[in-house]
Amino acid sequence: MNNEELDSQLSAMFDDELPAPQCELLARRLARDDALKARWGRYAAIGAVVRTERGLRLDGHLASRVSTAIASEPALLAGSAARATGQRKGPLRGWSQPVAGAAVAAGVAAVAILMLRAASPDLPLIAQAAPPPAAPLAAPVASADARPDSYVVPPQGESSSFTPPVELADFVVAHSEFSMPLLRSSALSALVAAESSSDSADAPGDAGKSDDPNAGTSHAARSR
Amino acid sequence: MRLGRASERLTWIALALAVTAVASADEPQKWLERMNQALTTLNYDGVFLHSQGGRVETLRIIHRVQGGVVTERLVSLDGSGREFIRSGTTLTCYLPDERKVLVEQQPAQSLLLGSLPSFGPSASQFYDIRAVRHTRLIGKKTQLIVVTPKDEYRYGYRLWIDQATGMPLKTQLCDRRGNVIEQVVFASIATPDRIPDTAFQPDMATDGFQWVRQLPMSTPAATTAASSVSRWSALELPPGFHMSVRAVQIMPGTTGLVEHLVYTDGIASVSVFVESHMHADHTLSGSEQVGSTSTFATMVDGHPVTVVGEVPAETVRFIANSVQERPSARH
Repeated sequence: MNNEELDSQLSAMFDDELPAPQCELLARRLARDDALKARWGRYAAIGAVVRTERGLRLDGHLASRVSTAIASEPALLAGSAARATGQRKGPLRGWSQPVAGAAVAAGVAAVAILMLRAASPDLPLIAQAAPPPAAPLAAPVASADARPDSYVVPPQGESSSFTPPVELADFVVAHSEFSMPLLRSSALSALVAAESSSDSADAPGDAGKSDDPNAGTSHAARSR
Repeated sequence: MRLGRASERLTWIALALAVTAVASADEPQKWLERMNQALTTLNYDGVFLHSQGGRVETLRIIHRVQGGVVTERLVSLDGSGREFIRSGTTLTCYLPDERKVLVEQQPAQSLLLGSLPSFGPSASQFYDIRAVRHTRLIGKKTQLIVVTPKDEYRYGYRLWIDQATGMPLKTQLCDRRGNVIEQVVFASIATPDRIPDTAFQPDMATDGFQWVRQLPMSTPAATTAASSVSRWSALELPPGFHMSVRAVQIMPGTTGLVEHLVYTDGIASVSVFVESHMHADHTLSGSEQVGSTSTFATMVDGHPVTVVGEVPAETVRFIANSVQERPSARH
């Protein structure tokens, strides 16, 4: 993907016009690519400036920090203004700095959240740790490592390959970080159960799933 | 004159009673604070029974705080021999029955043995908390604290707290009628000054085991920060519940981003997961019970919605059925 395409994807993402699978792909790429992260930061800013019309409000401290950062990057302001006037009717000239800053901060904050989520370097959610390389590895783990940057939807997403309890275990474990179970290993045991059954469910024929038809259909099904 | 003196005496008695009442209203909260303090700051080594859903398991817990680093080891003493060892934020799960080791990152404050959130004033609107009586357990004097829910949307607790150390020697999660849903009871416990490093070594050889690293799935995030990318909320909630965390995350087993909303009444928490991808149907549907955790899965406008919490089944269903795309987020 060249920079122009990336730019347009980033821009679409921040205008909330990019389909979810592509958002996810971008998020994963961003987690690994510092140059792209910088671009993302800029697009967050631009998108947020465009959204100023929708009346975003933000924490003043963060806003002032961000507006200082933005002010020190005149090219960005010029670019966003040009883009904004090009896309939307009505002049965006003459925004007062604090307002623009606040809106920008909203975008940056949102990005921070996504970055937080996508911070793992390789997003297959289960990857092999150091020892022992020769172990008989579960198929999804191996294919996850080998997955190229351009993959669209993770094979794990093919929900039909999971029995319900496995999916439930992921939710129970994700929830347990916010709850106070009497014994944390109860949630962890659910995870263990999930590990075992996902192995048995996925082990045969996992390689065939990389050309996943799900990508296209789910895209088409989105209500946009 | 006599009458005057009598009424004066009555006034004093009334006043004294009032003072006692105020003091004892504070007392149970103090016990809970003391318990949480003990669970997080003491060194302890104990064997306990954990029962849930008709199953009983014997486990050993070792907890050490040394130089600001918390190290914990939880060992199943029945059959499976599973061990969970946490050092700082890294949790390693040894599963000899599966010949696997799972390594994952956890928030630093996640104790293996659960505590209770601090009992704030809002919680007292929905729970009644009392210091009930003194009793003896495994030769130690304990104070029994009972936390009773005031309606059917949440569970209660009974805690037997060691008067000497503040450790909960017995903990029960109960429904509103007092039926025990989950229980932890210590058979023995010690609070040594020092615990050697060797106590945190797994009791097994891991040669030939498969090592699997589970990457972090979620981290708490500020409500305002995610609000510009989030689109969903529960429009109606059981009394006392409010949103505490809103985040967008990537989760295993799902396609696309998942919006994660956490609602709490100050004690109990409920997570709502809304998948951004539209599906023809949800692979999950209706109520399930995972130990003391209730879940409810449904579809809302083509999006799979899963609600999870240590609350009665009715509560997760109530919340799941009120999940809607926020009007401002609609296109």
